[in-house]
Amino acid sequence: MGTNKSVLLPPDQVQLICSETGFTPKQLRRLYIRFQELAKRNPTGGYLTREDFLDIREVALNPLGERLVDVIVQDYGDANKINFRQFANVLARFRRGKATTDLNTKEKKLLFLFSMYDRNHDSKIDRNELLGILKLMVGGNIHDEQIATIADHTIGELDADGDLTITFEEFCETLSRIDVDEKMSMKFLN
Amino acid sequence: MYKNKHSIFLILILGLIFHKYYCKEQTYIHNQAKPPRFHVAEFNFDHVSDVYAITLWILLGSLAKVGFHLSHRLTEKFPESCLLIILGLIVGGLLYITHLAEQKAYVLNSDTFFLFLLPPIILEAGYFMPNRPFFDNLGTILLLAIVNTLFNTICIGLTLWGFSFTPLYGGTQFGMLPCFVFAALISAVDPVAVLATFTEIHVNDMLYIVVFGESLLNDAVSVVLYRMFDSFAKIGQENLIPLDLILGFLSFFVVSLGGVLIGIIFGVVACFTTKFTEHTPVLEPLIILVYAYLAYLTSEMVSVSGILAITFCGMVMKQYVSFNISKKSDATTEYVLKMLSSIMETIIFMFMGLSTVSDHHSWNTGFVLITLLACLVFRVIGIAIFANLANCWRLLELTRIDMLIMSYGGLRGAIAFALALILDETKIPRKKEFVTATIAVVFFTVFLQGITIGPLVKCLNVRRKQIEEPTMSAKLTNRMMDHVMTCLEEISGSGGSNSLRDKCRNLDRNYFKRWLLRETPQEKMDIKLLQTFKKINMQSAMKVHDTSKGLVPTPSSTTIHTSPSGANLRPSSTFANFSQLLAANLPEQTVPDLMFFESQGTEHYHDDAQMHHFLDTNLYRARPRATIHVRSKDEMADTNNETNNRFEKSYHHRNHIYIPPRLDKEQLHGRKTGRSSSGTNRLTGAKAASSTQADHDSRSSKHSLIPSYKRESFKSTNSPKQRQQQQKSKSRSKSPPLSSDQPIKSLSETKDIDQPIPPVSIVIENEDDTVKMDGATAAERICPWRRSSLPDGEKLTSTSSIDDPSNTSHTFSNTNDPNLHSGPLTSANFSGAYNKSAEYMGEFATITKPEEYVSRPHVRDLFNNQFRTSDEKQENNSETASNESVTRL
Repeated sequence: MGTNKSVLLPPDQVQLICSETGFTPKQLRRLYIRFQELAKRNPTGGYLTREDFLDIREVALNPLGERLVDVIVQDYGDANKINFRQFANVLARFRRGKATTDLNTKEKKLLFLFSMYDRNHDSKIDRNELLGILKLMVGGNIHDEQIATIADHTIGELDADGDLTITFEEFCETLSRIDVDEKMSMKFLN
Repeated sequence: MYKNKHSIFLILILGLIFHKYYCKEQTYIHNQAKPPRFHVAEFNFDHVSDVYAITLWILLGSLAKVGFHLSHRLTEKFPESCLLIILGLIVGGLLYITHLAEQKAYVLNSDTFFLFLLPPIILEAGYFMPNRPFFDNLGTILLLAIVNTLFNTICIGLTLWGFSFTPLYGGTQFGMLPCFVFAALISAVDPVAVLATFTEIHVNDMLYIVVFGESLLNDAVSVVLYRMFDSFAKIGQENLIPLDLILGFLSFFVVSLGGVLIGIIFGVVACFTTKFTEHTPVLEPLIILVYAYLAYLTSEMVSVSGILAITFCGMVMKQYVSFNISKKSDATTEYVLKMLSSIMETIIFMFMGLSTVSDHHSWNTGFVLITLLACLVFRVIGIAIFANLANCWRLLELTRIDMLIMSYGGLRGAIAFALALILDETKIPRKKEFVTATIAVVFFTVFLQGITIGPLVKCLNVRRKQIEEPTMSAKLTNRMMDHVMTCLEEISGSGGSNSLRDKCRNLDRNYFKRWLLRETPQEKMDIKLLQTFKKINMQSAMKVHDTSKGLVPTPSSTTIHTSPSGANLRPSSTFANFSQLLAANLPEQTVPDLMFFESQGTEHYHDDAQMHHFLDTNLYRARPRATIHVRSKDEMADTNNETNNRFEKSYHHRNHIYIPPRLDKEQLHGRKTGRSSSGTNRLTGAKAASSTQADHDSRSSKHSLIPSYKRESFKSTNSPKQRQQQQKSKSRSKSPPLSSDQPIKSLSETKDIDQPIPPVSIVIENEDDTVKMDGATAAERICPWRRSSLPDGEKLTSTSSIDDPSNTSHTFSNTNDPNLHSGPLTSANFSGAYNKSAEYMGEFATITKPEEYVSRPHVRDLFNNQFRTSDEKQENNSETASNESVTRL
């Protein structure tokens, strides 16, 4: 990234976050630089807001970008702000490496995915939430009717107990055959 | 059993060959003795001999394959390739002993091999390449294909040359360059052998693609190395200058990138061509094959890697072509590719066996053993080094076991053999030894490794390929994970493979799809997601279809159908009952359509009731299977049948089943809003629609007396909230709910043809009847069972053409009562009606026999569709249709 003016994190913070997330200090420094880059609106505040994230062009263009930012900011930060520690915490879920912490487990990843759907935090995905996601992802000229049938079909697949909502257990159960671990991982630069 | 078959066939061939020589002699003597006379029949084998021989070989190969698969135990234990080689050995041995044919007639000819046998296999591999795993693992594949092959060649070459200074070869001298030539051809992993072996052992996609991708892409390296060392050997070791080496290195880039470029260019041109094949769908598969072959030949012509060219050509075409061409063409292309590659593979392995038995051998134990060992050892070392290197950046690391399978799967095959055969004996004096050693290595890898790799995979518990049921949730979540990871990569500032993929996808959508597809994709539309949905919908439809055989329609099915659809899809007790009924009536023993269920598990959805309800409201209506073949239909453009919407098109292209998408559309539009007329236009395809529209406009202006409120009423019947009402109105007025245009249209047509224009009021009143009148068979189309309920068919026709609204409406109300069907309806009655919808003939060969439709739960729907179909068809060929049906009756 080149910017060497890096406002360094205090060493104790580095150690704390490293032990928490499993990042190496090097990776963490890089993340911190990125964090600073993103915090354009309030460079000294030490937190990121929803708008900061949406300034990234690719995120704004991504069909699920807004939703994702919402999840990050609301679920993992407080008061719609996210500080660096929380930021690193979120990203640590998707870290891939030999050192496993309790953050980058498959369950945490699934939970993150689940929270992408479950926006009212009732630990259930209901039909409307599914519809919301589908509309975001399919977009275009598809009729609501068709999306509705897709949603119903999906619920039908996932819903084991027939209550027309999807609990986290049902969610995990059905996705057990997908290699979530593999797909929801990324390499962090050293 | 299969042995008998083969021996019989063998005798047949031998007999024919024998006969050839025998007859020649006889006719010769005969001609000399007497003046020539006219022959009633002549035996002229020479005229066809070459082609005849080829055809016989193909037949032998196919029969061998068929024969092997009759015995399960045999194919379980031995890979097909081994069996074919053994068969080749036996036949070759027989031919050798009996001296029936010249050796060069049956020894593998490298021109034949490279020009005819190899391209189909590679094209098939490229066409069906799983793109996602391929590009996900591209780095590893390239590393292995390029660096590992280079490493292997150099190491093997040096080892072989080094050992020539020891007495191990029994004093035979091997020069350095010949050794390297040999090393170049022997070190490349063979795609044909890998494909033959790995498809049988079902390892996971990642492992498969790494080994197979390596074997495909190393072609460029091995071609370059082979050619380089070959020409070095010709130049002579002492005349070499460093420039040659540099040029050789440069030629690698030319050969590989040139091959890829040619492949992509031809692929793109092929896609572009298929953009315009709308009216000549029969040629579509041919166009695809020809372009691919041309790519191969062109790159061979300019001596770049043909294998790379045809691989990439196939990959590019697959991306876009299937959206353009019709479903039938798509299925045909896939099938032809599979067929060609399968038979070519068979022939290649057979010829390997055949060619082994010849005089061109010179066994040198030391050399063969050293080669074998070097191949094995350096394969393992190479994989160990480069797989570990690849692990530095790989997300999913290759485990030790993966590496073991990768090195064990490094099979050598026919390409090496063919390359060995074209060595120039004057420049490389040890050609015979090389050929022998190549055969030894190939046999060793194909037999020993090929047979043991299956048990080894089982034993080491290698992650197998999971045959995933394509569930909506999985697809959705997968796609979601992609999006999320792309986003997160952007957020964390580490541009990884996800971001790259996203960029490629955008490029693809913005440029390539726009240029190469008949229809440009809509903004932000997630095509794949929709495709999956439709595919699933289709499959579940087929499931229900298959299992509902023998179900007598009951009142409950009516309840389902008349229930409001759409937004509130909640399983009610009725549906539960229905599914129970289904479950009770339908044992699992019904035989599924194998082609259809190929990739599918047999698990059913959790919630049958919901599923059935879902299906009930969304099923694509099944169409009758045609019994006569209408050629013109196949050759005609499918514009009438097909929407140009590629989502509709693509979603069942894998299923080899055609169900006209228009019904789906019709449903959607019909249920959604009252825009039935616009729906109709889309249904009939752009062309037909425009003509219909124009036609209709002109006509309606002619007969402008037709009041517009009639159309309004049609529209309202299609509104979802009035579904119930629609049922009633359907029974009252037999008008097709599909379109408002059609009845008017056909009405006016009828008037033009055979009726004086009646007073306006009568036209309105009898509109529906007029619709039916314009063909003698319209009545039967609408209610085909009437033939059986009425004693006299002729009478029926006349009754229906009489304007008697009460009579016909009565008949129609019967259609709404499913109980009626169980009585007088027989398949015979139906098949007559089915045959009449000539439009769909030939489309449904794969589905089911018409008899099965009789007992389907939604017989009534079938009729409605029937009616719609024929109704739409009427405007085009009402006359022909009626004529045809009359003759049929």
